[in-house]
Amino acid sequence: MPAMRLQGLTKHYTRASQVVRALDGVSLEIEQGEFVAVVGRSGSGKTTMLDCAGLLMRPTAGRVLLDGVDTGALGERERAELRSRRIGFIFQEFNLLPTLSAMENVLLPLRYSGADRRAGRRRAEQLLEEMGLAARASHRPSELSGGQQQRVAIARSLIGEPTLVLGDEPMGEVDTETAEMLLALMRRIHRESRVTFLIVTHDLDLAARADRIIHLRDGHLVGDERVDCAVSTAAASRAPVASLAGRR
Amino acid sequence: MEIIRNLWRRKLRSALTVTGIVMGIFALTTMGAMAEHFDALINGGITYYGSNIQVADANSSITSGFGGYMSLSTLAQIERVAGVAAATPFANEIAKPGAVSVVNMGIPDYISSIDPNWDHYSPLKVTLAHGRWVTDASRGEVDLGSAFAAEFHMQVGGTIALPVRPADAQPDFVNHRFTVVGVLDETLTAPDSAAYVSLHDAQTLVGDSLPSALAGRVDPYQIISGVAVYAKPGVNLDALAERINAAVPTVEALKPSTLVSAMKSGAAVFTVMTTATALLALIIGGLSVVNTMIMSVSERVREIGLKKAVGARTRHILTEFLAEAGLMGLIGGMVGFLLGFALTTLLDAGDASGGLFLVTPGLTGLAIGFAVALGAVAGLLPAIRAARLDPVAALRAQ
Repeated sequence: MPAMRLQGLTKHYTRASQVVRALDGVSLEIEQGEFVAVVGRSGSGKTTMLDCAGLLMRPTAGRVLLDGVDTGALGERERAELRSRRIGFIFQEFNLLPTLSAMENVLLPLRYSGADRRAGRRRAEQLLEEMGLAARASHRPSELSGGQQQRVAIARSLIGEPTLVLGDEPMGEVDTETAEMLLALMRRIHRESRVTFLIVTHDLDLAARADRIIHLRDGHLVGDERVDCAVSTAAASRAPVASLAGRR
Repeated sequence: MEIIRNLWRRKLRSALTVTGIVMGIFALTTMGAMAEHFDALINGGITYYGSNIQVADANSSITSGFGGYMSLSTLAQIERVAGVAAATPFANEIAKPGAVSVVNMGIPDYISSIDPNWDHYSPLKVTLAHGRWVTDASRGEVDLGSAFAAEFHMQVGGTIALPVRPADAQPDFVNHRFTVVGVLDETLTAPDSAAYVSLHDAQTLVGDSLPSALAGRVDPYQIISGVAVYAKPGVNLDALAERINAAVPTVEALKPSTLVSAMKSGAAVFTVMTTATALLALIIGGLSVVNTMIMSVSERVREIGLKKAVGARTRHILTEFLAEAGLMGLIGGMVGFLLGFALTTLLDAGDASGGLFLVTPGLTGLAIGFAVALGAVAGLLPAIRAARLDPVAALRAQ
């Protein structure tokens, strides 16, 4: 069973009495543990697809199945629960809460899932250490660089032990060098945890380091190709992190 | 913790909002304390006057309590009326003649004869804090009410000249020395301002103050100010008052229900005042909380979107914003209450005649509870707005 299946996914907006077809009948399947990049120009429907897949938005037509479950049939409460238990989000603009420390930002999703606090705290410490931010745990976002903020956001996306991480231009706000570092970090996490990654980007160089590239144009799926494994793993050759290995 | 930091993030704005609540609750506390004080006074009066019938000479006004003269001989006639259990003659005199009465919400200090039937018949209980009771046989002895004793710094064993000599005393002014033999517990009502002496001594004082036309021509010990009539169990007091009026034409017996309803209408004015102040607090504090919370919500749209994305449900967001608004109410309520409490304590400390305010636990609870509820209710609309935000639109908001 695929981790995610999109069937005829369609989303229409009405803007100034004109119907905008953001997504028009997109169907695809993603297996557990894939690292997928979604590319396309702005307005191609990448973000809309991500919002639907992340249960933040209901499609006009078509279905989103996560682990075989038709999410369209679920109520808002169940969808919120599924988001907190199964899905991690990373955004372009980090979206950290300014009044919370790095540690508290990482712990935020657990506040709503009712998870054990002590275990959560231990895991947050571990994640911050893996992100190289152990010494910054008590810093506020305003005291961190863009790359550091995004690493806090990545740790936050992983705190609930999701099976799926969705990234909306996670490297869009940082310089090339930091973008490289963030991607390498995500690849390393992916390699050690086998979490499914679905990353939206407009940077084709970065997309080329994914296992698979999905290409959207004007709301249609126009390309779906697998990337040579050698290219993608070469960039992610860092020291393995014991704590993440074998988590799933 | 996050709630406190969110308030702290906009220190000035939060402070202004809290100040609005502080002012409202401050007004509510001081006005409420005044109303509570007045209520206690009135309730004491209702308890006492509702339990007996006040009888005075038909030609004088009983409600003033002073200046009316009645012959002791009528007492026997009153006692004979069917349904009367006991009738106590009493004599009253003003304790501080000539004292300028500015706006005074309390009762002016007075001297009264002790009522030997009081303890047995009246539901309003008066107890001794120190010393012993004056008896019918006492001469030159006095029991002082708590406020009276405090005003003249009197303790058991002290002596006081009554009535108190006014600054502009007439050449024929007379007073007598009394030994304080007891000080009463605080009742929050009339007895606090009283000096109780024996009927004989009270009659002496009334005799001293007789108008010159009467002085020397009547026996002061045959004059009383009025009679308190207690009924037998099961006897309707209003009906008994009517029977007394019919049987003894020279006196007027006041129906307790008339006195009680007059007092209640006085208390109603204060209830209106407190309610109006509460309404004012509601408007000032409430609107500033609404405004602040609406601004907080529009500032934090992206935060709300993010929280929803990571699994927060509508009720989580609702609770967080309500807690923030409620906390502002709590802080404002506590500060406003403490300021009000401090002011009323300060004013009462400077007022010798027993004070003007009474802060009760009920008022404390009302002021702070009202403030928290005010914050939460005012925060409800913005919180609902926040909780209903569409996560996608909220996340991408600029």
